[in-house]
Amino acid sequence: MHQQIFASHKNAEKEYLVTWFIKALAATGFVAALTTSVHASDWSPSGPVKLMIAFAAGGGADTQARLIAEDLEAKLGWELIPQQVTGKGGLNLAKALHDMPADGTAIGMVVTETLGYNMRVADAGMTPDDFTAITTTSSFQMAVVAPSTKGWTSFADVIAAAKSGETLRFGVMSPKLADLAYLVSEAQGVEFNIVSVRGGREVMNGVIAGDMDLGFMAGIQGKAVDAGEMVNLASALSTPLIQTPDAPVFADLGVPFNADGYFLFIGPKDMPTATRDALAEAISDVVSTEGYKSNAMITAAFGGATVIAGDAAQTLVTEGYDAAGALLATVEAE
Amino acid sequence: MRRAHCWPRSKRSSPLHDAKSEPAPIRRGAVSDQLWLGLGCTALAAVIALIWIPMDSGTGLIEVQRRRITLGDALAPTLAAGFIGLGGCVLLLQSLAAKPGEPAARLQRSHLLFLLRFLAICGLGLVLMRWAGPLAVALADPFVAADLNYRSLRDTAPWKYIGYLTGGTFIAAALMAGAEGRWRPRHLALALATSLALALLFDLPLDGLLLPPNGDL
Amino acid sequence: MGLTDYIWLGVLAVFQGPEAFDLFGLSVSITVLMVVAGFILGIVVGATPGLAGPMAMAIALPLLISAFGFTPDALLPVMGFLIGVMKGATLGGAVPAILFNTPGTPDAYLTTLDGHPMTRAGQARKALKIAHVSSATGDTFSDVVLILCAPFLAVVIEGYLDLPEKTALLILSLAFVASVIGNSVGKGLIAMGLGLMAAYIGTGEDFYPRLSFGTQSLARGFPVTTAVLGVLILGEVFKSLDDLRRDRHRPDAPKAPKPTDHAALSRADLRRIAPYIARSAVIGTAVGALPGIGSTLAATLGHTSGARRHARKHPDRLPFGKGAPEGIAATEAANSAVSGANLIPVLSLGIPGNAAAVFLILATESIGGFNPGPAVFRIPPDRINPELVVAFGLFTMMMLANLMNWTIGGVFMRMAGVMARARKEFLMPMVLLLTLTVIYVQDPRMIAICFAIGFGVLGYLMRRVGMSPLPFVIAFLLARRLEDTARQAFSATGGDAWFLFTHPIAALFMALAVVSVGLSLRRSAGQQRP
Repeated sequence: MHQQIFASHKNAEKEYLVTWFIKALAATGFVAALTTSVHASDWSPSGPVKLMIAFAAGGGADTQARLIAEDLEAKLGWELIPQQVTGKGGLNLAKALHDMPADGTAIGMVVTETLGYNMRVADAGMTPDDFTAITTTSSFQMAVVAPSTKGWTSFADVIAAAKSGETLRFGVMSPKLADLAYLVSEAQGVEFNIVSVRGGREVMNGVIAGDMDLGFMAGIQGKAVDAGEMVNLASALSTPLIQTPDAPVFADLGVPFNADGYFLFIGPKDMPTATRDALAEAISDVVSTEGYKSNAMITAAFGGATVIAGDAAQTLVTEGYDAAGALLATVEAE
Repeated sequence: MRRAHCWPRSKRSSPLHDAKSEPAPIRRGAVSDQLWLGLGCTALAAVIALIWIPMDSGTGLIEVQRRRITLGDALAPTLAAGFIGLGGCVLLLQSLAAKPGEPAARLQRSHLLFLLRFLAICGLGLVLMRWAGPLAVALADPFVAADLNYRSLRDTAPWKYIGYLTGGTFIAAALMAGAEGRWRPRHLALALATSLALALLFDLPLDGLLLPPNGDL
Repeated sequence: MGLTDYIWLGVLAVFQGPEAFDLFGLSVSITVLMVVAGFILGIVVGATPGLAGPMAMAIALPLLISAFGFTPDALLPVMGFLIGVMKGATLGGAVPAILFNTPGTPDAYLTTLDGHPMTRAGQARKALKIAHVSSATGDTFSDVVLILCAPFLAVVIEGYLDLPEKTALLILSLAFVASVIGNSVGKGLIAMGLGLMAAYIGTGEDFYPRLSFGTQSLARGFPVTTAVLGVLILGEVFKSLDDLRRDRHRPDAPKAPKPTDHAALSRADLRRIAPYIARSAVIGTAVGALPGIGSTLAATLGHTSGARRHARKHPDRLPFGKGAPEGIAATEAANSAVSGANLIPVLSLGIPGNAAAVFLILATESIGGFNPGPAVFRIPPDRINPELVVAFGLFTMMMLANLMNWTIGGVFMRMAGVMARARKEFLMPMVLLLTLTVIYVQDPRMIAICFAIGFGVLGYLMRRVGMSPLPFVIAFLLARRLEDTARQAFSATGGDAWFLFTHPIAALFMALAVVSVGLSLRRSAGQQRP
């Protein structure tokens, strides 16, 4: 604890202001606020920052959030306190964050789908405008994957199998992906039995165990695809997959929607621009600079950081929210 | 695995013991207790299944989604309520079939009184735990140059320990006194030592853990 | 990669993990150290009145996770500690029963029957030694059966079970647990229903958190630790506190007569108890493999069958209940043999059978990287299956703990006799505060503490009306998986409402579930009208 306060002194590099008296106070842990107001030109939080994480402890997303927190502490001497607020596709976190102070001492990590599709469907009295988008950190490589034992090498093989009368089970891990699977089946004139599970890991396990025939995975299939145990049949993104660029994208399959998604840091509504930008800069810096733990992790898992910050991020989530409306309308109309 | 069941430690309350070597004294009304338990659970299940679940679930028993029938959110809890009700009915039937005066575990008024006292202690202790820190900060504020607020000090010694130590010491001391039936200064000392030891155990070696109530802020 | 490679990798994972310290040039891995630490703590906890192995496991788990993190590397050290506690507590539990006639559990009560008379006759050392040998043998035998059976069972299950069958299997497990634990099917069903109900609050597929009354505190549901620690540990603490208050004028801690015997067991002694150990080890293992039955029934069966054999074959010797070494052996071997076999359903199906298994499952769920169930024992052609390595690591640690059981267990067991003097009046409030802190650390909201106390009250009331809390806990733990699997099975079969009955194996499981409840009903009806 004391070490942390001294660390923030060092970072301030303005120790001339810190008299012996204040040092003594700080040493007994008295006034963290004082030490931070010293370098007001450069924004830094007025106390410990609560970092809410919308993902189960121990998973990849949780690890990413915790590594970013560690990096920020190491780099800037900020103190971050990671805390799990899981459930309801990030909406539980959104609700909890909604009422926190907007001074940068409370932020959360979610996926763009939380403020987009999920918020739209939930109709829980919140819109993306109730939050401040800070920055994205990385994007998903969402693919339709099947085990190679099925013998399929392309999405066309899947359609052929379905048309020949085989009942296929399609594993999905969110309601939005279920809608996309449904739309792809409608566009191709087949039927899938859409099976919802919790998380890409469960889709993978289900596909391996034979409980499902194919399903969405957002990157965990990488090693198995390399080893030839699994096949990326299609990209659920607006762009081709990095690993298998030849697989068709959803637009090629007749679906005008996609599963483009990012990990996203958000704060409560009306966060001061200086605060937002300072947070965005700090986060994007550690995730995209080599040598930081979070950068190493993101590079290994997602092929590198994808940073969309500030107003661009806000636009991204607003567009996601609007696109979700169109997707829902299409599904209902089908 | 002997420890499996967390059975009560004391000899007299071991169920097996009751059955084998020390038949519980026959109490009047023991069977009707089973009857009440059965009735209570059946009624509870009915309230849950017929009122709570229908009024407080996002989807019904089954739903049509993407032109397919899927299981709704109300189905699983309704089945759970069904099990509670079924168990209640079994108890009811068994108590009707049983001979009066058969031994059965029962809830006594003294049990409820114990619970009340116990909950009062815990309640008071938790209030102390939650507010002692902010109170201390508010009291200290006029004497320090800077603007103090507990939220920004919640991970700073000594502030972060105040609530936990106050509330924890109170709860532990009060319960020790209750268990011994009298109050002794050593309860306070022991309770303080316990909360201090726990605070250090959780706070010092493990980074990122928050003692109560600091995670709420 | 063949099976033997995996076994070797598992062994290496335990012994060649990160080094804790260097012992005479021999590097000791953290994992090994954790097994040893857990084992010793387990003996101490087992020998302390009011504490129990699962309690220590529950409280240690969050601390361990904070210390080791959530990465798969944490799995072996954390699980090693828990397994150590589990085995140590099994051994330690016999200590107060033999020395002070204070059984911690119903099955330890059976140990007092012959153990304490031996102590009174000045043969405390011998009694402890017999308990030690029997317990260690039963435990080791059970582990061997686990290691041989679990992989094959898992592979068979993966081959034959589709989603409908998996749903039916979960239902069968719950029905079985509800009907065999405790002595009343009605109460078992109620406890199970309450456990399911509690788990369904705030969860569900829809974005509206069901049964939350629109509040934020309930919207996140009850975390597993809150419910499990509340019902299992706080409930027990509340009850102890209440009992202490009622039972205030007890004599002070009992004193054991000074032992006058030698510690060593002669060859003749061993020959004398060996048949009882063998018989009970088999009984305990068989009982342990079924979820929910637990060590009480195993101990009772072992003791009864031993007594029958004893009366028939050796009418000349000291009969059971008067200080017969055979009595201790028959009881201890049986209840210790439950622990390994109890992990068969855990590892092959992911279904916990007792409180200790509950915390092992919780550990794997919190850490990730190891999902107990059929997928663990798969051998993929081109890749290493890390879960299989962990599984063999677990087996290695169990055997390591057994080795410790044989070598240093006896020494610590005798030393742990001191713990029986610990004052419950002081210990219970400390355990309470510790548990509340642990719950807060897992879910840092004051409301979580309030929920836990609420679950504690529930656990207290359940104990007061003679309802075992274990069906509640197991149901809570399996509830979401049950709902998810049922939903998936329903969707996967294209909306077949009768999927539980149209698939033959699923229908068989459902029939077994009904039979197990029905048989227990008849049994309790028989008890009611003798």
